[in-house]
Amino acid sequence: MTAYLLSIGIVVLIYALLTLGLNLQFGLTRLVNFGIVAFFAIGAYTSGLLSLKGVPLPLSFLAAMIVAGLAALPIGLLSLRLREDYLAIVTLGFSEAIRITIQQEEWLTNGVQGLPGLPKAFASLGSGNSDIALFVTLVLVTAITAWGTLRLTRSPLGRLLRAIGDDETALMALGKDPARFKVQIFMLGAALAGMGGAFYAHFITFITPEQFIPLVTFYVWMSLIMGGTGTVRGAIGGTALLMIFLEGSRFAKDLIPGVSEVHMASVRLAVVGLALILFTLYRPQGMFGKRQA
Amino acid sequence: MTEFLNLLINGVIEGLVVALPALAMTLVMGVNRFPNAATGDFMTAGAYATIGLQLAGVPSLVLAALIGALAIAATSAASYFLIFRKLARQPMVASLLAAIGLGFLIRSLISLFAGHDQRTFQLPLMRAWNFNGVRILPTDLAIAGVALACLAVVFILLYKTSFGRQLRAVADSPDLARASGIRARGLLISLWLLVGALSSVGGVLLGMKAVVMPDLGWEHLIPAFAAMVLGGIGSPVGAVVGAVLLCVAQELSVPFLGASYKLVLAFGVLAIALLIRPAGLFGRIELVR
Repeated sequence: MTAYLLSIGIVVLIYALLTLGLNLQFGLTRLVNFGIVAFFAIGAYTSGLLSLKGVPLPLSFLAAMIVAGLAALPIGLLSLRLREDYLAIVTLGFSEAIRITIQQEEWLTNGVQGLPGLPKAFASLGSGNSDIALFVTLVLVTAITAWGTLRLTRSPLGRLLRAIGDDETALMALGKDPARFKVQIFMLGAALAGMGGAFYAHFITFITPEQFIPLVTFYVWMSLIMGGTGTVRGAIGGTALLMIFLEGSRFAKDLIPGVSEVHMASVRLAVVGLALILFTLYRPQGMFGKRQA
Repeated sequence: MTEFLNLLINGVIEGLVVALPALAMTLVMGVNRFPNAATGDFMTAGAYATIGLQLAGVPSLVLAALIGALAIAATSAASYFLIFRKLARQPMVASLLAAIGLGFLIRSLISLFAGHDQRTFQLPLMRAWNFNGVRILPTDLAIAGVALACLAVVFILLYKTSFGRQLRAVADSPDLARASGIRARGLLISLWLLVGALSSVGGVLLGMKAVVMPDLGWEHLIPAFAAMVLGGIGSPVGAVVGAVLLCVAQELSVPFLGASYKLVLAFGVLAIALLIRPAGLFGRIELVR
């Protein structure tokens, strides 16, 4: 039971990192990223492949963040010229393009078979303790990220970013150049997703292209929408709600007879869909967000 | 050379089919101002409805597809009435997220009741005509014919009827249209009926060309969007031309990149089109709101 709770905790925290990254991009700066899973995948594969080549984990984690951040650069630059709806579809297309490339380029990624036998983080501590160490590390990393986000939102730079989201034209009239900040925030959010990917790869130790479908992106969106966009509280609370739902549905499967895992996958998809519709309709400010005037 | 011709023919036929959802998206984009990401799943729903009707004993594919199109048209109009109408005053992202959610909901209901297995339509098997290596399937000709007929109907509706005139007026300026006494409500319901039927027929035609599975339409969302952007958002002619150009490019890329990279190519075309000519081939420069 402890092992189970621990593994849920780890997955929640990984999703929390992704949600915090999206909160920077969308909650703060109104950059609509429908391709989070691409940066998650890039991080997971970068760190996974490097560690298999014998690169120590701290370095491969760093590489995962850098590669994911750099992969966001062209999209970030493109985002400067696009309206939000175009950016949404472009990022969605980007994530599918990345997934297909990972699936096809077998020489690098081993294709659909995926990468088995990735080194487990903190493996030297033994099987039970390594998860505890991973959990504690993730708590620290998430706390630092959340604290950093809070500091950022309250700093002059944060006000600037918020202003980008609210009224970019007015900002430019004041002589500020929002472009640089937008690209930077986009890359930062992507780097966070990349780090999440590295944690994921070295927690479950086996990655395949099929784990990086667009549904992951919309889990993160669902967290942020449920929690309330623009606040750290909302990002964390929303992720917790998401996990209760994802894991709860696993228990529901055991309790209701005759429901297969395939059925449950459809039900989860249905709930994500319904949640996105109902929250945009009835509670756009989220569960924990402030009601906007 | 014959191989090239075969790919070209295939690309044109697929392009005419993808033109239907691209047109559906561009109509919603022009009037409701958001990319309807559920378009692909309306297609899938249409294909499954038609298969279901065939299994239930509807003897002709045409009849089944027609009833299916009516059902999806009703679903589409209901989705507008229940969801998107209420989000009109919200930021565009709200409608887009809701559309993605609706797509997920439709797809999950399909996979829940019909499973993930690939299905095919009950079609008479026909041998391809062979002109010195250039192969043409009679089914493909029928598919292209139906697609062209649907496009013709939509263009007549758009440019020769008062429905189309009013619709274009609302697309240009909702306020001005209201001031001139155009009642937007019935007009928009009709638009969404049309959009649903168009997507549904597109899904059936795509399913006839390949197989029907729950991801059928979702996999054509990016190509349909790329076609719409390539042609110029809000330009119906552009959507059709964009779809044909994109699908021909996709088919011609197969010998070099392999079939799996078709979607990646569509994404590439989309990104390049946005960079070089954001207003599309047939678009005009829009004022940023």
